[in-house]
Amino acid sequence: MSDFMQAGKISEAKQLLDALRTNMRVTIRGKDDVVDQVLVCLVAGGHLLIEDLPGVGKTTLAYSLARSMDCAFSRIQFTSDLLPSDVTGVAIYDETVKEFVFKKGPVFANVVLADEINRATPKTQSALLEVMDRARVTIDGAAHAVGVPFMVFATQNPVDYEGTFPLPESQMDRFLMRLQMGYPQAADELEILRTQRGGYDTITLNPVVDRGDVLKLQSSAHEVFVEETVLDYILKIVAATRTEAEFRAGVSVRGGLALRTAAQARALVNGRDFVLPEDVTELVTPVLAHRLGLARQTSDALEERRAVAAALRRIWSSIPVPQ
Amino acid sequence: MSMEKRRPQLNLDELHQLKWLLGGVIALLAVWTVFYMNLEGWTLMAITTGAVAAVMIWPALPSRVPALVHTLAFPAIVLFFAGDLWLTTEVLPAMVRLDMLLLLYRGITYRQRRDDLQVIVLGLFLIVVAGVLTVSLLFAAQILAYTGCALGFLLSITLTEAAKGDGDGAAGAGQPGGPPAWATHTDWPQLFRRLREAADWRVVALGAALFAGVVGLSALLFLALPRFQIENSLFLERFVIRKARTGFTDSIKIGDVSEIVQDTGLALSVDVSDRNVVPAVPYWRMLVLDQYEKGSFKLSPGLRLTSFGRFDRTGTVVHGEARPRLGPAVYWTFYLESGVSRYLPLAGDFSVLQFRESQNFRQSADLAVLALRDEPVSMTAYRVESLDTSGTLPDPGFAKRWRERDPRTAARGLLQNKLSVSPADQTRLRQAVETIEAGGPGPVAARDFADRAGAWLRKNHLYSLNPTIPGGEGDPLVRWMTSNEGGHCELFAGSLVLLARSAGFPARVVTGFKGGSWNGYSNNFTIRNSDAHAWAEVFDAAAGAWLREDPLAVGSAAQNDAANGEAALAARADRSWEARLDSLRVFWYRRIVNFDQRSQTETLKAVKAATQEAGRQLRERVARLADAVKTWLAGPWNLRRLANVLGFACAAAALGWIGWEFGRGWWRRLVRRPGGKHGDPVRHEASRWLRRMTVEPPRGAAGAEVVAELRRLRFGARATWPEPEKIFRRARQVWREAARQSKRQPGGTSASV
Repeated sequence: MSDFMQAGKISEAKQLLDALRTNMRVTIRGKDDVVDQVLVCLVAGGHLLIEDLPGVGKTTLAYSLARSMDCAFSRIQFTSDLLPSDVTGVAIYDETVKEFVFKKGPVFANVVLADEINRATPKTQSALLEVMDRARVTIDGAAHAVGVPFMVFATQNPVDYEGTFPLPESQMDRFLMRLQMGYPQAADELEILRTQRGGYDTITLNPVVDRGDVLKLQSSAHEVFVEETVLDYILKIVAATRTEAEFRAGVSVRGGLALRTAAQARALVNGRDFVLPEDVTELVTPVLAHRLGLARQTSDALEERRAVAAALRRIWSSIPVPQ
Repeated sequence: MSMEKRRPQLNLDELHQLKWLLGGVIALLAVWTVFYMNLEGWTLMAITTGAVAAVMIWPALPSRVPALVHTLAFPAIVLFFAGDLWLTTEVLPAMVRLDMLLLLYRGITYRQRRDDLQVIVLGLFLIVVAGVLTVSLLFAAQILAYTGCALGFLLSITLTEAAKGDGDGAAGAGQPGGPPAWATHTDWPQLFRRLREAADWRVVALGAALFAGVVGLSALLFLALPRFQIENSLFLERFVIRKARTGFTDSIKIGDVSEIVQDTGLALSVDVSDRNVVPAVPYWRMLVLDQYEKGSFKLSPGLRLTSFGRFDRTGTVVHGEARPRLGPAVYWTFYLESGVSRYLPLAGDFSVLQFRESQNFRQSADLAVLALRDEPVSMTAYRVESLDTSGTLPDPGFAKRWRERDPRTAARGLLQNKLSVSPADQTRLRQAVETIEAGGPGPVAARDFADRAGAWLRKNHLYSLNPTIPGGEGDPLVRWMTSNEGGHCELFAGSLVLLARSAGFPARVVTGFKGGSWNGYSNNFTIRNSDAHAWAEVFDAAAGAWLREDPLAVGSAAQNDAANGEAALAARADRSWEARLDSLRVFWYRRIVNFDQRSQTETLKAVKAATQEAGRQLRERVARLADAVKTWLAGPWNLRRLANVLGFACAAAALGWIGWEFGRGWWRRLVRRPGGKHGDPVRHEASRWLRRMTVEPPRGAAGAEVVAELRRLRFGARATWPEPEKIFRRARQVWREAARQSKRQPGGTSASV
């Protein structure tokens, strides 16, 4: 591997990402920053946890991405009675061939929407661990690869926590980023109101990239150059979370790697073949916040998220940015 | 992810290995001081050298030492010291040996930080003691090497401790069950390769420059410091007694002096203030031997008592019998190396001799010999005024006794005429004398006889450092003299003395040095042990003086008439590499020896004068240049001159512009190094411009483009960089443009950013 990205690759990546961005903005209005973050997560090869209220466009976002990439999309509504096999698939006995045949579950797609993931039991949530980490499912000792590329969009409601099972830290660590959609601006919402549209499956979007293009983008992201002082900056931020008294525990090594990879992806999404310190600062909260928990007890989850975000902001603003 | 390559750094194991090596080198440098202290520590030094060198090469060896040894080591060392002190009753040598034992122990065991520091202190003790006692040039070289190694050692200790961190304090220490990890996989060539890769030449150069600066500053301070004799102040000299390694003692057997000739080591350096008085062949007398018995010459107890007296004298000034010369005084400064003799070399009688410090000595004015009480353990310096190098030594006392002697008995004090050989040998001597005297008409004078005897000996014998003395009855010297075997200076001189005494002339053997070379670099005489020589002195009753007669030289009288002064020096000039090294030693001696503060003051004055002279010359040169320019400007102007001026101005401007535009780029390329925070000068410069543009943001597409390129220079991969100098020039342009615009619009962005 060369130690820098070829000029042709960066222009090609820029072209592909511009096409994706434009296509998704057709359906996701007024959320350009969220679209960019999703693209960052896609290019970094990560999974996304979206926390927001119902009806703000989370499913539409995932579906639009899948359609734009010409990829298989599946949606799993997580409930308390959902079983792991409902997610991953099950081996059933086939009378005709006289043997067990594996029936693939909904996770065998390229973009999987795990809706309201925290409503499922921890056992079912754990069924996603392997597939999110290794992009494969192991049933009865046999490994089955899921789609390539593979991206999980998980959603959860931050307000209504009744009857839910909070995701364990190991599960949270598998998500590259956690985003909030938020309400759109009034002008954008008006525009949405004007459109005559049903459910997300009525969306018609032309694919602008194919799976091969996405894999190329993901490969290119790894070639984005990270200068020593920027790496040092990442290290300082990660180290500071480990000495911060407000957190229960600091960010893991995987968290630091995730921040670096996400920064590389952001640089590529912005048409650069090198990482700027601002790529890191912009991604500190989305990449690290969900991996951290407060040492003290809080009254509700929202307050904890706000406190974590504030502490993270304080940390990165106190560390000198490389210039 | 792609990353730039960083300069490799030594890992903890490599740092441990480097520290181990440097510690060993320091221990070796320190124990080798025994080479020139000579205090019965050779065995210990050899053991330490062998053991430390072995564990340096194979660091896993110390782990094989049984734990019992470690338990018993310190009690054993303490017992050794106590026993040593009890047996030798000399404090300093015992302490030196104790120090060496501790260094040996520390050198062959795994060290923690405090042990490493102990090695430095122990080594420093040995170096300083050796330096104070010997005041030798070797000490200067050794302390320099030691200081360099010790600094490197301290640096490696610091780096190792820093690399170990707080929680791993025992990583470098020896483990009870086996060697530490770093000692089990040593690959010294690989370590040196890694060291070369990890070493930044700029840091090395800076370190070397700082070290040279410290040494230079110390040298200047050393020049300005008042001198004092620390060994005398602390009575250290008495603790270390050094035996002369040469044969210049009161009693010399035939062949002793010739043995010295095998040694080419430096024995004596002599400075002379007036080169014109330098004789063609200088003879540096040390000792007079008057008593002969069975192949051995010695200073007779009688002569010693009558000439040297019973008691030592103490002082810095010695008066001789020679009269001061008219005109400016001529000073001869002698630097006698340690281990030569306690008899001081002199070229003859003198008027005044001055030591640089008070000495215990005995002087014989009649013999023109001066002896210190003990063998000097360090270089001995003395300055002699009005030295008589003529080879004729007036001896009124002996002349009086010789005139008043009773010819029938060998009077006391006239041993210099005594023939202690058998009657048969006396007959053989008589026959030889008759042969010698037969060569000329009438009674023979002392000088004439001596010359003839020398010629006769040279005719019958060739010079040889490996003589054969024929067997048979009688005195060995007489046997040799009457044979045709070759012989060395002692045989020649001894034979001549016996012949002269047989002929009725008092005679004696004199030992010392002959000749020497003239060091063309430091302008001084260099006399080596190989210049050791023996010759004869024959008493001339008519003149009442002893005449020098060297039977190996062609005509002693003719020698005195040979070219003196500059011509003699030119014939002896030595410009070899060895002379260059010797000149350093003499330079060192000249600086540390100070008879009366005068030379020190003169040196400092010379430094000051040289500085002032350089300043004056510079001022004069500038003034001359200014005058030349003024004169040139005042000359008539024409088109050609104008064109020349314009051409020159344009060329200067072009050169200035090139330097401004490209000079910094060339410098950045020169000093560029991989890795490091802002270590790359291009990244550093780009960072500087980006910070500047944060304060004064450029405007328009051009400005944004420049910022993007600067960001690429600052954070991008080097291989993707645009031409840095071009970008910096553009950055300068857009930044100036932005600054101009913000001045025109006071409420512009610059105020708000």
